Amino acid sequence: MFFLEEIVIQLLLNFVAREDLNAFLRNPQHTATIVGSLIAVSGALLGTFLLLRGMSLTSDAISHTVLLGIVVAFILMGSVFGQHPDLSSIWLIVGAAAAGVATVLLTELIYRSGLVKQDAALGLAFPLLFAIAVILVSRVVSDVHLDEDAVMVGEIGVAWANTNSHCLSGCESVTITPDDPRAELTRQCTNCRSLGISPRDEKAEFTAICTNCGQYSPAQAWQAGFTKQEPVLVFWPKSITVMAVLTLLTLLAIVLFFKELKLSTFDPTLAAALGFRPTVMHYGLMVLVSLVAVGAFDAVGSILVVAFFIIPPAAAYLLTDRLPRMLVYSSLIGAAGAYSGYDLARGNLLGIANLSDVLAGLNDLFGLGLSESWDSSISASMVLMTFFFFLVAWTFSPKYGLVSTMLRRRNQRRSFDHQVVLGHIHHHQGSASASDELAASTLYRHFRWTPAKMQRTLRQLRARNLVEVEDNLVSLTGHGEIHAHQFRETQLTNESVGE
Amino acid sequence: MKSELTLEATDNMTKNRSSDQLIWLLIAAIALVAALFVPFSQFVLHVEYDYTLRTVALGGALLGIVSGVLGCFAVLRRQSLLGDALSHAALPGVAIAFLLAGRDLGLLLIGAGVTSWLGVYFIRLVTGTTRIKQDAAMGIVLAAWFAAGIALLVYIQARPDASQAGLDTFIFGQAAAIVERDVRLIATVGAVSFIVLALFWKEFKLITFDPEFAGASGFRVNLLSLLLSTLIVVAIVLGLQLAGVILMVGMLIASGIAARQWTNQLGQMVMLSAVFGAFAGGAGAIVSAVDADIPTGPLIVVVAFLLVAISLGFAPGRGLVWTLLRQRSDRRLFAAQTMLQDLYHYALDHGRADLPAPEPFLVGVRGAAAREGLRQLQARGHAQRSNGAWMLTRTGIEAAARDDRNHQLWSVYRQYADDLALPMVAEDRQQEIADALPPAAVAKLEYKLDTIRNAAASSTEEPSLPNAVTDR
Repeated sequence: MFFLEEIVIQLLLNFVAREDLNAFLRNPQHTATIVGSLIAVSGALLGTFLLLRGMSLTSDAISHTVLLGIVVAFILMGSVFGQHPDLSSIWLIVGAAAAGVATVLLTELIYRSGLVKQDAALGLAFPLLFAIAVILVSRVVSDVHLDEDAVMVGEIGVAWANTNSHCLSGCESVTITPDDPRAELTRQCTNCRSLGISPRDEKAEFTAICTNCGQYSPAQAWQAGFTKQEPVLVFWPKSITVMAVLTLLTLLAIVLFFKELKLSTFDPTLAAALGFRPTVMHYGLMVLVSLVAVGAFDAVGSILVVAFFIIPPAAAYLLTDRLPRMLVYSSLIGAAGAYSGYDLARGNLLGIANLSDVLAGLNDLFGLGLSESWDSSISASMVLMTFFFFLVAWTFSPKYGLVSTMLRRRNQRRSFDHQVVLGHIHHHQGSASASDELAASTLYRHFRWTPAKMQRTLRQLRARNLVEVEDNLVSLTGHGEIHAHQFRETQLTNESVGE
Repeated sequence: MKSELTLEATDNMTKNRSSDQLIWLLIAAIALVAALFVPFSQFVLHVEYDYTLRTVALGGALLGIVSGVLGCFAVLRRQSLLGDALSHAALPGVAIAFLLAGRDLGLLLIGAGVTSWLGVYFIRLVTGTTRIKQDAAMGIVLAAWFAAGIALLVYIQARPDASQAGLDTFIFGQAAAIVERDVRLIATVGAVSFIVLALFWKEFKLITFDPEFAGASGFRVNLLSLLLSTLIVVAIVLGLQLAGVILMVGMLIASGIAARQWTNQLGQMVMLSAVFGAFAGGAGAIVSAVDADIPTGPLIVVVAFLLVAISLGFAPGRGLVWTLLRQRSDRRLFAAQTMLQDLYHYALDHGRADLPAPEPFLVGVRGAAAREGLRQLQARGHAQRSNGAWMLTRTGIEAAARDDRNHQLWSVYRQYADDLALPMVAEDRQQEIADALPPAAVAKLEYKLDTIRNAAASSTEEPSLPNAVTDR
């Protein structure tokens, strides 16, 4: 990881000055947006396949049980190496991925028994694993910073602060040994506690210990004042690296196995018959989902990461029927949600509205006395913006949107009405009962319509130059005659084809 | 519609009735165990029943009953994960109610109910107007509503005063916070929802098992299923304080899944689920009192899962243990019958019924199952071993001949059932044909078989037995 960061930094420094890079990364908004977008893109890519496989909620289950993997890995590390790892250790990630796969396995085990339906199996498996994790957390590791709160909610706003420092020049690592003049030495009583005596007691024995000995990286050495010249440093947020690697891994997997994934998603039986091993694809996908879930959990928390797996693909699903486009759209929607979410957390909805004004308005209207400064969770706001984009897609999608569906239905209804009226006129025109059947003022009765609807329909038909009204008698124009005839013919053809 | 709807068609009504009584016995037994658990925990685990524990245990048991009963419908309607989505969807309601009206548990729960219910409505709207499936729609509600809840909570927590403290217990649940007033609330609301359930029992049953038929019969399926979902929302909202949003789904569905294993009748399933839920809720709360560090909600879920595991393993008829045992005995029986016929025909083909067949030959033809079958035959005294070869005993030959005849009769039945105007039965060659068909029909078959044989024997050419008879 460290090495990768080094390469990227060298590359970037060809284009920007070091000070600018540091300033850029130190801005919470930039780091949060980058990390959020990376999470959103990797989640959206994997989520697309989950959605198409009808497994969206598996990502929910996995993101919860990731906690169990972390806790178990934490405890195992503690008992094997006698030292608990820190929360970004690779072993915790491995444990979490294993727990994700274990969730899927347990679900399938319960489901395969044939006694429990699929959804119920999932609903049994993950609360159980999560419950075990919570019990373990409270029993075994209650003394460390690993509470459910941190795992569930997370905060992307502080991602900028957790950095690796990379030294470019003037690098001087310092090792302080007890004989070093800079070492701070102090005496400590070695037998005071065991004998229960005070250090002033004559029997007390002392040993010299060094309080500041050890290894100092260039940055730490400068901070502690051991080096005179300030090293040239770049501070690189760790979560950017983690999420960038995971996103690249996801992209790579999807590009390399696109054909296999596509086939096993849409036709698992054919995939199996052609030797594409859908089971391997399935578990590979689950491993990737687990990895992204664990990589994201300390930035956005494990419940909210689910949003990036489910909402962008669902929005993209309403916009296109092509898998490659769906992947691109859902990534874009996820990234856009992450980008605009940061502003929403500060109260700014896409520059359209300001939540502070809304709160003030509520206060004015109802006298609620709410605090008028909106400053909220960034990760939650990113999810809300993604959801907002889903709503937009749902409403305005050209093919499946609410508006277009409504318009299409209205058009269909209207053309049906037109056809019915034309047919009626065509049928009665010139017959003996014509004056009765085709009187414009009473025509609506024959259809059991309201007069208003009849008038509207006639107006539209006249505008299309299909119908004319003379002396309160409705008749087809020449154009209308042709139209009615054509319709009759196509109907007849359809019927004969139907038989 | 007056007939009892069962989950599966059962062909044997008398068997059904006796298993009915068994279920009621079981329910009584579990209730007894649950009752005995209290003195057990008191004297063996040395749990001290102080006011707090009594309240929490009672609250847990009541919640177990409410969520157990209503969870059954979620399980049967394949909406288990609806519980998960809706419990998450309750969070913004809690936050909004707090913002509007302050800390009043009743109002907080009403707020929770309102947003959960909006979640239900949103899911129906999305699945109704787009091609997005129910699971994804649930996921959207879960994530978006929960995010709104978190955003509001963070906003609330920025307030200068401390009045907001403890709102996040709704996320993880905090059993210790339950007081007598809450228990009374649970009991009242639970009772009301049970009354609604009883009033619409027939309708709920119908839309659960056959929504199309319900629709065709003029029931308002959409409205009814919305009402049922509303009841589920009620159960979830009541349970949030105890179990928290994440574990609520386990509490909701586990006892229903366990109960489903024991019975095919909805009424029994609901009763059993209530008892299971009460046991899990009460016992979980009591055990968590053994050590103050164990959180109650997760423990309740673990106890409930143990009930599920026991039910999946041992439920009569369906249980995995019984299935495995049955499969093993079927496999043995089949292997034994195969070997009996193999030995018989091998010997007959070589002219003498008790001619020994070499074991390697039998294993070579039938694989490892041959050894199992031979062991079975030996145990029954149908075959014996000598010099690495197997031969049938007298009883073995008789049994084989009987079996063979039975098979041939079944073959004749398959081919000539229509010609002979015989009654239709399912063909099962393991069964004596005389048990499956009336004597007159068997006599017809015997006669037909003998005619075919005689015709074959008198023919000078290759025996022209119908395929079905020679085909074994």
